[in-house]
Amino acid sequence: MAINIKSLLQQAEIYRSQGLLQDAEKKYLEVATAIKNSDNIQNKNKLLKAVKKKLSAVRKDNEDVETAPTSPEMSSHVNEMIKKLFSFSHDKTNEEEAALEGAIALAKFGQFEGAITEFKKLLEKESVGVAAAKNIIRCFMTLDSIDAASTQMYEWESSDYFSAEQMEKIRSFFDEMLEKKGIKRDLAASDLPEEEEAVEDEEFLDISAVAITFDSGPHKGEQVELDVSFQSGNIISLIISSNDEHMIENLQVGVKLEDIHFYSPIAIFRGTGVVSAKTQINSGPKKGDYSVDIKIQSI
Amino acid sequence: MAIFNIKKREIECKIVYYGPGRCGKTTNLEYIFKSYKKQVEGEMVSINTEGDRTLFFDFLPMELGKIKGCEIRVQMFTVPGQVQYSSTRKLVLKGVDGIIFVADSMDVRREKNMESLKDLQKNLKEYGLNIFKIPLVLQYNKRDLAEQGIPIMSVEQMERDLNRQLKVPAFPGSAMTGKGVGKTLQECLKLTLKSLHKQFNWAE
Ligand SMILES: Nc1nc2c(ncn2[C@@H]2O[C@H](COP(=O)(O)OP(=O)(O)O)[C@@H](O)[C@H]2O)c(=O)[nH]1
Ligand SMILES: [Mg+2]
Repeated sequence: MAINIKSLLQQAEIYRSQGLLQDAEKKYLEVATAIKNSDNIQNKNKLLKAVKKKLSAVRKDNEDVETAPTSPEMSSHVNEMIKKLFSFSHDKTNEEEAALEGAIALAKFGQFEGAITEFKKLLEKESVGVAAAKNIIRCFMTLDSIDAASTQMYEWESSDYFSAEQMEKIRSFFDEMLEKKGIKRDLAASDLPEEEEAVEDEEFLDISAVAITFDSGPHKGEQVELDVSFQSGNIISLIISSNDEHMIENLQVGVKLEDIHFYSPIAIFRGTGVVSAKTQINSGPKKGDYSVDIKIQSI
Repeated sequence: MAIFNIKKREIECKIVYYGPGRCGKTTNLEYIFKSYKKQVEGEMVSINTEGDRTLFFDFLPMELGKIKGCEIRVQMFTVPGQVQYSSTRKLVLKGVDGIIFVADSMDVRREKNMESLKDLQKNLKEYGLNIFKIPLVLQYNKRDLAEQGIPIMSVEQMERDLNRQLKVPAFPGSAMTGKGVGKTLQECLKLTLKSLHKQFNWAE
Protein backbone atom coordinates (compact mmCIF):
# COMPACT_ATOMS: atom_id res chain seq x y z
CA MET A 1 0.00 0.00 0.00
CA ALA A 2 1.24 3.48 -0.75
CA ILE A 3 2.79 5.18 2.25
CA ASN A 4 0.44 8.10 1.93
CA ILE A 5 -2.64 5.91 2.15
CA LYS A 6 -1.24 4.01 5.07
CA SER A 7 -0.57 7.20 6.98
CA LEU A 8 -4.01 8.60 6.22
CA LEU A 9 -5.61 5.40 7.38
CA GLN A 10 -3.62 5.47 10.58
CA GLN A 11 -4.75 9.00 11.29
CA ALA A 12 -8.35 8.06 10.70
CA GLU A 13 -8.04 5.17 13.12
CA ILE A 14 -6.50 7.33 15.83
CA TYR A 15 -9.15 10.02 15.49
CA ARG A 16 -11.78 7.37 15.71
CA SER A 17 -10.24 5.76 18.77
CA GLN A 18 -10.24 9.16 20.46
CA GLY A 19 -13.88 9.73 19.71
CA LEU A 20 -13.14 12.45 17.17
CA LEU A 21 -15.70 11.00 14.85
CA GLN A 22 -16.08 13.84 12.40
CA ASP A 23 -12.33 14.14 11.96
CA ALA A 24 -12.20 10.37 11.46
CA GLU A 25 -14.96 10.49 8.89
CA LYS A 26 -13.12 13.12 6.88
CA LYS A 27 -9.92 11.10 6.97
CA TYR A 28 -11.63 7.90 5.87
CA LEU A 29 -13.05 9.82 2.94
CA GLU A 30 -9.56 10.99 2.04
CA VAL A 31 -8.37 7.40 2.27
CA ALA A 32 -11.10 6.26 -0.06
CA THR A 33 -10.25 8.94 -2.58
CA ALA A 34 -6.57 8.16 -2.38
CA ILE A 35 -7.25 4.48 -3.00
CA LYS A 36 -9.46 5.25 -5.96
CA ASN A 37 -6.86 7.54 -7.51
CA SER A 38 -4.01 5.18 -7.03
CA ASP A 39 -2.95 2.92 -9.89
CA ASN A 40 -0.54 0.61 -8.21
CA ILE A 41 -2.62 -1.00 -5.51
CA GLN A 42 -3.55 -4.62 -5.53
CA ASN A 43 -7.05 -5.63 -4.38
CA LYS A 44 -8.17 -2.07 -4.78
CA ASN A 45 -11.81 -3.01 -4.56
CA LYS A 46 -11.42 -5.09 -1.47
CA LEU A 47 -9.61 -2.25 0.26
CA LEU A 48 -12.17 0.24 -0.82
CA LYS A 49 -14.93 -1.91 0.54
CA ALA A 50 -13.19 -2.21 3.89
CA VAL A 51 -12.77 1.55 4.15
CA LYS A 52 -16.39 2.16 3.23
CA LYS A 53 -17.44 -0.19 5.97
CA LYS A 54 -15.42 1.76 8.48
CA LEU A 55 -16.83 4.96 7.14
CA SER A 56 -20.40 3.94 7.69
CA ALA A 57 -19.58 2.61 11.17
CA VAL A 58 -18.11 5.98 12.11
CA ARG A 59 -21.12 7.78 10.71
CA LYS A 60 -23.40 5.57 12.73
CA ASP A 61 -21.44 6.26 15.93
CA ASN A 62 -21.53 9.93 15.21
CA GLU A 63 -25.26 9.86 14.80
CA ASP A 64 -25.65 8.05 18.12
CA VAL A 65 -23.60 10.68 19.84
CA GLU A 66 -25.52 13.51 18.32
CA THR A 67 -28.90 12.09 19.15
CA ALA A 68 -28.01 11.09 22.71
CA PRO A 69 -30.19 12.94 25.21
CA THR A 70 -28.37 15.97 26.56
CA SER A 71 -29.92 15.74 29.99
CA PRO A 72 -31.16 12.26 30.77
CA GLU A 73 -32.58 11.72 34.25
CA MET A 74 -29.78 10.62 36.54
CA SER A 75 -29.72 8.32 39.54
CA SER A 76 -30.63 9.81 42.88
CA HIS A 77 -27.02 9.37 43.94
CA VAL A 78 -25.88 11.64 41.14
CA ASN A 79 -28.60 14.10 41.97
CA GLU A 80 -27.47 14.21 45.58
CA MET A 81 -23.98 14.98 44.44
CA ILE A 82 -25.05 17.74 42.10
CA LYS A 83 -27.03 19.30 44.91
CA LYS A 84 -24.03 19.23 47.20
CA LEU A 85 -21.41 20.37 44.72
CA PHE A 86 -23.37 23.24 43.27
CA SER A 87 -24.83 24.82 46.33
CA PHE A 88 -22.51 27.55 47.42
CA SER A 89 -23.97 28.39 50.82
CA HIS A 90 -22.79 25.51 52.93
CA ASP A 91 -23.17 26.95 56.38
CA LYS A 92 -25.78 25.80 58.85
CA THR A 93 -27.40 29.20 59.19
CA ASN A 94 -27.86 29.18 55.47
CA GLU A 95 -29.29 25.72 55.15
CA GLU A 96 -32.37 26.84 53.29
CA GLU A 97 -30.38 28.97 50.92
CA ALA A 98 -28.06 26.07 50.21
CA ALA A 99 -30.94 23.71 49.60
CA LEU A 100 -32.40 26.19 47.14
CA GLU A 101 -29.12 26.52 45.27
CA GLY A 102 -28.76 22.77 45.15
CA ALA A 103 -32.22 22.37 43.70
CA ILE A 104 -31.55 25.09 41.15
CA ALA A 105 -28.40 23.27 40.11
CA LEU A 106 -30.44 20.11 39.56
CA ALA A 107 -32.78 22.05 37.31
CA LYS A 108 -29.88 23.53 35.41
CA PHE A 109 -28.52 20.04 34.80
CA GLY A 110 -31.90 19.10 33.39
CA GLN A 111 -32.93 16.99 36.39
CA PHE A 112 -36.36 18.57 36.52
CA GLU A 113 -38.23 15.82 38.33
CA GLY A 114 -35.64 15.72 41.06
CA ALA A 115 -35.51 19.50 41.22
CA ILE A 116 -39.27 19.83 41.64
CA THR A 117 -39.19 17.35 44.51
CA GLU A 118 -36.49 19.43 46.19
CA PHE A 119 -38.23 22.74 45.59
CA LYS A 120 -41.42 21.34 47.07
CA LYS A 121 -39.60 20.62 50.31
CA LEU A 122 -38.68 24.29 50.50
CA LEU A 123 -42.11 25.81 49.94
CA GLU A 124 -42.82 26.17 53.64
CA LYS A 125 -39.54 27.85 54.42
CA GLU A 126 -39.99 31.49 55.07
CA SER A 127 -36.80 32.69 53.43
CA VAL A 128 -36.90 30.70 50.21
CA GLY A 129 -40.52 29.61 49.80
CA VAL A 130 -41.46 32.08 47.10
CA ALA A 131 -38.27 31.47 45.15
CA ALA A 132 -38.92 27.72 45.36
CA ALA A 133 -42.45 28.19 44.05
CA LYS A 134 -41.25 30.25 41.12
CA ASN A 135 -38.69 27.61 40.28
CA ILE A 136 -41.30 24.88 40.36
CA ILE A 137 -43.28 26.87 37.84
CA ARG A 138 -40.17 27.35 35.76
CA CYS A 139 -39.44 23.62 35.75
CA PHE A 140 -42.95 22.80 34.57
CA MET A 141 -42.73 25.43 31.88
CA THR A 142 -39.36 24.18 30.70
CA LEU A 143 -40.84 20.71 30.51
CA ASP A 144 -43.62 22.25 28.45
CA SER A 145 -46.13 21.17 31.09
CA ILE A 146 -48.23 24.30 31.10
CA ASP A 147 -51.13 22.25 32.45
CA ALA A 148 -49.10 21.04 35.38
CA ALA A 149 -47.99 24.58 36.09
CA SER A 150 -51.57 25.85 35.98
CA THR A 151 -52.78 23.08 38.25
CA GLN A 152 -50.03 23.90 40.68
CA MET A 153 -50.91 27.59 40.63
CA TYR A 154 -54.53 26.75 41.27
CA GLU A 155 -53.59 24.54 44.18
CA TRP A 156 -51.57 27.29 45.82
CA GLU A 157 -54.13 29.95 45.15
CA SER A 158 -56.95 27.96 46.67
CA SER A 159 -55.04 27.11 49.82
CA ASP A 160 -53.41 29.45 52.27
CA TYR A 161 -49.94 28.24 51.49
CA PHE A 162 -48.74 31.72 50.68
CA SER A 163 -49.76 35.17 51.79
CA ALA A 164 -51.62 37.33 49.31
CA GLU A 165 -48.51 39.36 48.70
CA GLN A 166 -46.37 36.28 48.10
CA MET A 167 -49.00 34.77 45.85
CA GLU A 168 -49.05 37.94 43.83
CA LYS A 169 -45.32 37.62 43.17
CA ILE A 170 -45.69 34.02 42.09
CA ARG A 171 -48.68 34.83 39.91
CA SER A 172 -46.93 37.62 38.05
CA PHE A 173 -43.94 35.37 37.52
CA PHE A 174 -46.20 32.72 36.05
CA ASP A 175 -47.86 35.26 33.77
CA GLU A 176 -44.50 36.43 32.59
CA MET A 177 -43.43 32.88 31.80
CA LEU A 178 -46.64 32.29 29.92
CA GLU A 179 -46.13 35.40 27.91
CA LYS A 180 -42.56 34.46 27.04
CA LYS A 181 -43.67 31.01 26.10
CA GLY A 182 -46.34 32.45 23.83
CA ILE A 183 -43.88 34.67 22.08
CA LYS A 184 -41.44 31.83 21.76
CA ARG A 185 -44.13 29.67 20.25
CA ASP A 186 -44.91 32.29 17.68
CA LEU A 187 -41.30 32.47 16.71
CA ALA A 188 -41.32 28.67 16.59
CA ALA A 189 -38.20 28.70 18.67
CA SER A 190 -36.59 25.51 19.90
CA ASP A 191 -37.87 23.85 23.01
CA LEU A 192 -35.49 24.74 25.81
CA PRO A 193 -34.89 28.21 27.21
CA GLU A 194 -31.39 26.98 27.86
CA GLU A 195 -29.46 29.98 28.93
CA GLU A 196 -32.08 31.42 31.17
CA GLU A 197 -31.06 32.01 34.71
CA ALA A 198 -32.98 30.25 37.41
CA VAL A 199 -34.64 32.48 39.95
CA GLU A 200 -32.26 33.19 42.77
CA ASP A 201 -33.55 34.42 46.04
CA GLU A 202 -33.88 38.17 46.33
CA GLU A 203 -32.76 38.19 49.94
CA PHE A 204 -29.54 39.90 50.87
CA LEU A 205 -26.55 37.83 51.93
CA ASP A 206 -25.97 37.17 55.59
CA ILE A 207 -22.90 39.01 56.79
CA SER A 208 -21.35 37.77 60.01
CA ALA A 209 -18.37 40.08 60.23
CA VAL A 210 -16.55 42.77 58.33
CA ALA A 211 -12.96 43.85 57.96
CA ILE A 212 -12.64 47.51 57.22
CA THR A 213 -9.52 49.11 55.85
CA PHE A 214 -9.46 52.79 56.71
CA ASP A 215 -8.00 55.19 54.24
CA SER A 216 -7.71 58.10 56.63
CA GLY A 217 -7.51 58.88 60.33
CA PRO A 218 -5.46 57.17 63.01
CA HIS A 219 -6.35 53.71 61.70
CA LYS A 220 -5.20 54.63 58.21
CA GLY A 221 -4.07 51.63 56.21
CA GLU A 222 -5.03 49.29 58.99
CA GLN A 223 -7.53 46.51 58.62
CA VAL A 224 -9.93 46.19 61.52
CA GLU A 225 -12.17 43.19 61.96
CA LEU A 226 -15.56 43.68 63.57
CA ASP A 227 -18.45 41.35 64.25
CA VAL A 228 -21.84 42.18 62.87
CA SER A 229 -24.37 42.32 65.68
CA PHE A 230 -27.44 42.69 63.57
CA GLN A 231 -28.41 42.81 59.94
CA SER A 232 -31.47 44.01 58.17
CA GLY A 233 -31.25 43.68 54.42
CA ASN A 234 -28.30 45.69 53.24
CA ILE A 235 -27.75 47.45 56.56
CA ILE A 236 -25.38 45.89 59.03
CA SER A 237 -24.84 47.03 62.60
CA LEU A 238 -21.53 46.93 64.40
CA ILE A 239 -20.81 47.52 68.04
CA ILE A 240 -17.75 49.62 68.76
CA SER A 241 -16.38 49.59 72.27
CA SER A 242 -16.35 52.95 74.00
CA ASN A 243 -12.61 52.42 74.55
CA ASP A 244 -12.00 52.60 70.85
CA GLU A 245 -12.24 56.35 70.54
CA HIS A 246 -10.33 56.60 67.28
CA MET A 247 -12.61 54.18 65.58
CA ILE A 248 -15.70 55.91 66.85
CA GLU A 249 -14.33 59.12 65.48
CA ASN A 250 -13.47 57.53 62.17
CA LEU A 251 -16.91 56.11 61.62
CA GLN A 252 -18.87 59.33 61.27
CA VAL A 253 -22.23 59.24 59.57
CA GLY A 254 -21.78 59.76 55.84
CA VAL A 255 -18.23 58.43 55.73
CA LYS A 256 -17.70 56.22 52.76
CA LEU A 257 -15.74 53.02 53.32
CA GLU A 258 -14.04 52.05 50.11
CA ASP A 259 -12.56 48.75 51.14
CA ILE A 260 -14.64 46.41 53.21
CA HIS A 261 -14.39 42.67 53.37
CA PHE A 262 -17.80 41.23 54.10
CA TYR A 263 -17.62 37.86 55.77
CA SER A 264 -20.68 35.88 54.97
CA PRO A 265 -20.73 32.65 56.98
CA ILE A 266 -18.72 30.86 54.37
CA ALA A 267 -17.12 33.26 52.00
CA ILE A 268 -15.68 36.71 51.82
CA PHE A 269 -16.77 39.42 49.45
CA ARG A 270 -15.14 42.73 48.86
CA GLY A 271 -17.17 45.85 48.56
CA THR A 272 -17.95 49.32 49.72
CA GLY A 273 -20.34 50.85 52.21
CA VAL A 274 -21.31 54.05 53.89
CA VAL A 275 -21.87 54.80 57.57
CA SER A 276 -25.58 55.46 57.82
CA ALA A 277 -26.11 55.85 61.57
CA LYS A 278 -24.20 56.00 64.81
CA THR A 279 -25.79 55.87 68.24
CA GLN A 280 -24.50 55.44 71.72
CA ILE A 281 -26.06 52.56 73.59
CA ASN A 282 -27.46 53.82 76.87
CA SER A 283 -28.59 50.71 78.62
CA GLY A 284 -27.80 47.06 79.06
CA PRO A 285 -24.46 45.27 79.11
CA LYS A 286 -23.11 47.29 76.18
CA LYS A 287 -23.94 50.60 77.76
CA GLY A 288 -21.60 53.34 76.63
CA ASP A 289 -20.55 51.50 73.48
CA TYR A 290 -21.58 52.68 70.06
CA SER A 291 -23.79 51.00 67.54
CA VAL A 292 -22.78 51.91 64.01
CA ASP A 293 -24.88 51.11 60.99
CA ILE A 294 -23.23 50.57 57.65
CA LYS A 295 -25.19 50.50 54.49
CA ILE A 296 -23.69 48.08 51.99
CA GLN A 297 -23.34 49.79 48.65
CA SER A 298 -21.74 47.17 46.54
CA ILE A 299 -20.48 43.67 46.94
CA MET B 1 -15.13 31.82 44.52
CA ALA B 2 -13.29 29.94 47.20
CA ILE B 3 -14.80 29.21 50.54
CA PHE B 4 -12.74 30.50 53.41
CA ASN B 5 -13.79 29.11 56.75
CA ILE B 6 -12.15 31.48 59.17
CA LYS B 7 -12.88 29.48 62.31
CA LYS B 8 -11.58 26.19 60.96
CA ARG B 9 -8.80 27.92 59.05
CA GLU B 10 -9.70 26.02 55.97
CA ILE B 11 -9.95 27.07 52.36
CA GLU B 12 -11.85 25.16 49.77
CA CYS B 13 -11.15 26.19 46.21
CA LYS B 14 -12.14 25.04 42.79
CA ILE B 15 -9.98 24.16 39.81
CA VAL B 16 -11.58 23.52 36.45
CA TYR B 17 -10.12 21.70 33.45
CA TYR B 18 -11.44 23.41 30.36
CA GLY B 19 -10.89 22.70 26.68
CA PRO B 20 -12.47 21.36 23.51
CA GLY B 21 -14.18 17.98 23.38
CA ARG B 22 -11.82 14.98 23.50
CA CYS B 23 -8.70 17.03 24.24
CA GLY B 24 -7.87 14.94 27.30
CA LYS B 25 -9.42 16.70 30.31
CA THR B 26 -10.87 13.54 31.80
CA THR B 27 -7.64 11.67 31.10
CA ASN B 28 -5.72 14.37 33.00
CA LEU B 29 -7.95 13.95 36.01
CA GLU B 30 -7.76 10.17 35.83
CA TYR B 31 -4.00 10.35 35.87
CA ILE B 32 -4.04 12.64 38.89
CA PHE B 33 -6.45 10.32 40.65
CA LYS B 34 -4.06 7.41 40.10
CA SER B 35 -0.81 9.14 40.93
CA TYR B 36 -1.67 11.45 43.82
CA LYS B 37 -3.39 8.90 46.02
CA LYS B 38 -2.16 10.55 49.17
CA GLN B 39 -3.81 13.86 48.39
CA VAL B 40 -6.97 12.47 46.91
CA GLU B 41 -9.83 12.73 49.33
CA GLY B 42 -12.43 10.22 48.25
CA GLU B 43 -13.36 8.97 44.83
CA MET B 44 -13.26 10.40 41.36
CA VAL B 45 -16.75 10.73 40.00
CA SER B 46 -17.47 10.82 36.28
CA ILE B 47 -20.86 11.48 34.85
CA ASN B 48 -20.73 10.13 31.33
CA THR B 49 -22.95 9.41 28.41
CA GLU B 50 -22.92 6.06 26.74
CA GLY B 51 -20.07 6.80 24.39
CA ASP B 52 -17.85 7.51 27.38
CA ARG B 53 -18.19 11.22 26.90
CA THR B 54 -18.34 13.56 29.81
CA LEU B 55 -21.95 14.53 30.18
CA PHE B 56 -22.00 16.93 33.08
CA PHE B 57 -18.55 16.86 34.66
CA ASP B 58 -15.86 14.79 36.32
CA PHE B 59 -15.13 15.54 39.93
CA LEU B 60 -12.11 14.83 42.08
CA PRO B 61 -11.69 16.18 45.62
CA MET B 62 -8.16 16.69 46.96
CA GLU B 63 -6.57 17.79 50.18
CA LEU B 64 -3.24 19.53 49.95
CA GLY B 65 -2.48 19.90 53.65
CA LYS B 66 -1.60 23.09 55.46
CA ILE B 67 -0.23 26.07 53.60
CA LYS B 68 0.73 29.05 55.72
CA GLY B 69 -1.25 27.49 58.55
CA CYS B 70 -4.39 27.06 56.54
CA GLU B 71 -5.81 23.73 55.43
CA ILE B 72 -6.27 23.73 51.65
CA ARG B 73 -8.87 21.59 49.98
CA VAL B 74 -9.32 21.54 46.25
CA GLN B 75 -12.32 20.50 44.23
CA MET B 76 -11.27 19.59 40.72
CA PHE B 77 -13.72 19.50 37.87
CA THR B 78 -13.68 18.92 34.14
CA VAL B 79 -16.27 20.39 31.85
CA PRO B 80 -18.05 18.59 29.04
CA GLY B 81 -16.41 19.67 25.81
CA GLN B 82 -19.05 19.25 23.17
CA VAL B 83 -20.77 22.32 21.88
CA GLN B 84 -24.26 21.17 22.82
CA TYR B 85 -23.42 21.15 26.52
CA SER B 86 -22.73 24.83 26.76
CA SER B 87 -25.07 25.51 29.64
CA THR B 88 -23.69 22.74 31.85
CA ARG B 89 -20.21 23.84 30.94
CA LYS B 90 -21.00 27.28 32.20
CA LEU B 91 -22.50 25.97 35.41
CA VAL B 92 -19.43 23.87 36.18
CA LEU B 93 -17.35 27.00 35.81
CA LYS B 94 -19.32 28.79 38.48
CA GLY B 95 -17.16 29.80 41.41
CA VAL B 96 -13.92 28.76 39.72
CA ASP B 97 -10.64 29.85 41.30
CA GLY B 98 -8.12 28.47 38.85
CA ILE B 99 -8.25 27.05 35.34
CA ILE B 100 -6.24 24.56 33.35
CA PHE B 101 -6.96 24.94 29.68
CA VAL B 102 -6.14 21.72 27.89
CA ALA B 103 -5.43 22.20 24.21
CA ASP B 104 -5.25 19.33 21.74
CA SER B 105 -1.95 19.29 19.86
CA MET B 106 -3.35 17.53 16.81
CA ASP B 107 -3.43 19.61 13.63
CA VAL B 108 -7.06 18.80 13.01
CA ARG B 109 -8.08 20.29 16.35
CA ARG B 110 -6.52 23.69 15.83
CA GLU B 111 -9.76 25.58 15.28
CA LYS B 112 -11.48 23.77 18.13
CA ASN B 113 -8.80 24.87 20.58
CA MET B 114 -9.26 28.49 19.65
CA GLU B 115 -13.03 28.26 19.73
CA SER B 116 -12.95 26.70 23.18
CA LEU B 117 -10.61 29.36 24.56
CA LYS B 118 -12.97 32.01 23.27
CA ASP B 119 -15.89 30.18 24.86
CA LEU B 120 -13.99 30.16 28.15
CA GLN B 121 -13.44 33.88 27.96
CA LYS B 122 -17.09 34.49 27.24
CA ASN B 123 -18.30 32.30 30.10
CA LEU B 124 -15.88 33.86 32.56
CA LYS B 125 -17.03 37.28 31.51
CA GLU B 126 -20.60 36.35 32.21
CA TYR B 127 -19.55 35.56 35.77
CA GLY B 128 -17.76 38.89 35.98
CA LEU B 129 -14.33 37.27 35.69
CA ASN B 130 -11.48 38.30 33.45
CA ILE B 131 -9.49 35.67 31.59
CA PHE B 132 -6.41 37.88 31.88
CA LYS B 133 -6.67 38.02 35.65
CA ILE B 134 -7.85 34.60 36.72
CA PRO B 135 -5.15 32.02 37.54
CA LEU B 136 -4.77 30.12 34.28
CA VAL B 137 -2.29 27.70 32.75
CA LEU B 138 -2.28 25.98 29.40
CA GLN B 139 -1.43 22.40 28.59
CA TYR B 140 -0.54 21.31 25.07
CA ASN B 141 -1.71 17.74 25.29
CA LYS B 142 -1.16 14.58 23.27
CA ARG B 143 2.46 15.37 22.40
CA ASP B 144 3.07 11.59 22.37
CA LEU B 145 1.13 11.25 19.13
CA ALA B 146 4.06 12.68 17.17
CA GLU B 147 5.81 9.34 17.60
CA GLN B 148 2.95 7.61 15.89
CA GLY B 149 3.26 9.86 12.88
CA ILE B 150 0.11 11.82 13.61
CA PRO B 151 0.40 15.45 12.46
CA ILE B 152 0.64 17.68 15.49
CA MET B 153 1.31 21.38 15.83
CA SER B 154 4.61 22.70 17.09
CA VAL B 155 4.64 24.23 20.53
CA GLU B 156 5.55 27.56 18.92
CA GLN B 157 2.50 27.44 16.74
CA MET B 158 0.25 26.66 19.71
CA GLU B 159 1.81 29.51 21.65
CA ARG B 160 1.00 31.83 18.76
CA ASP B 161 -2.55 30.53 18.48
CA LEU B 162 -3.48 30.50 22.12
CA ASN B 163 -0.98 32.26 24.30
CA ARG B 164 0.12 35.31 22.37
CA GLN B 165 -1.98 37.66 24.43
CA LEU B 166 -2.55 35.64 27.57
CA LYS B 167 1.14 34.97 28.21
CA VAL B 168 0.40 32.41 30.88
CA PRO B 169 2.51 29.38 31.81
CA ALA B 170 2.10 26.61 29.24
CA PHE B 171 3.23 23.01 29.36
CA PRO B 172 3.52 20.39 26.64
CA GLY B 173 2.34 17.06 27.92
CA SER B 174 0.59 13.78 27.46
CA ALA B 175 -2.27 12.95 29.74
CA MET B 176 -2.05 9.40 28.44
CA THR B 177 1.51 8.83 29.68
CA GLY B 178 1.17 11.36 32.48
CA LYS B 179 3.97 13.52 31.16
CA GLY B 180 3.47 17.14 32.17
CA VAL B 181 0.22 16.43 34.01
CA GLY B 182 1.62 17.00 37.50
CA LYS B 183 3.60 20.04 36.41
CA THR B 184 0.55 21.67 34.88
CA LEU B 185 -1.54 21.11 37.97
CA GLN B 186 1.19 22.28 40.33
CA GLU B 187 1.64 25.53 38.46
CA CYS B 188 -2.09 26.13 38.43
CA LEU B 189 -2.34 25.45 42.16
CA LYS B 190 0.59 27.75 42.80
CA LEU B 191 -1.06 30.62 40.93
CA THR B 192 -4.43 29.92 42.47
CA LEU B 193 -3.13 29.85 46.03
CA LYS B 194 -1.15 33.00 45.45
CA SER B 195 -4.28 34.72 44.26
CA LEU B 196 -6.37 33.37 47.13
CA HIS B 197 -3.77 34.48 49.61
CA LYS B 198 -3.91 37.96 48.16
CA GLN B 199 -7.68 37.87 48.37
CA PHE B 200 -8.07 36.52 51.88
CA ASN B 201 -4.76 37.57 53.30
CA TRP B 202 -4.71 34.89 55.95
CA ALA B 203 -1.75 34.87 58.27
CA GLU B 204 0.13 32.02 59.88
N1 LIG C 1 -2.41 9.61 22.54
C1 LIG C 1 -3.02 10.33 23.46
N2 LIG C 1 -4.34 10.21 23.64
C2 LIG C 1 -4.94 10.96 24.59
C3 LIG C 1 -4.21 11.85 25.41
N3 LIG C 1 -5.08 12.45 26.25
C4 LIG C 1 -6.30 11.95 25.97
N4 LIG C 1 -6.22 11.03 24.97
C5 LIG C 1 -7.32 10.27 24.37
O1 LIG C 1 -8.25 11.19 23.83
C6 LIG C 1 -9.57 10.72 23.99
C7 LIG C 1 -10.41 11.76 24.72
O2 LIG C 1 -9.89 11.96 26.03
P1 LIG C 1 -10.77 12.51 27.23
O3 LIG C 1 -9.88 12.62 28.41
O4 LIG C 1 -12.01 11.72 27.37
O5 LIG C 1 -11.13 13.96 26.68
P2 LIG C 1 -12.10 15.06 27.29
O6 LIG C 1 -13.27 15.11 26.39
O7 LIG C 1 -11.30 16.31 27.20
O8 LIG C 1 -12.43 14.69 28.69
C8 LIG C 1 -9.48 9.41 24.75
O9 LIG C 1 -9.55 8.38 23.82
C9 LIG C 1 -8.10 9.48 25.39
O10 LIG C 1 -7.56 8.20 25.57
C10 LIG C 1 -2.78 11.95 25.20
O11 LIG C 1 -2.07 12.71 25.84
N5 LIG C 1 -2.26 11.18 24.21
MG1 LIG D 1 -14.25 14.44 29.60
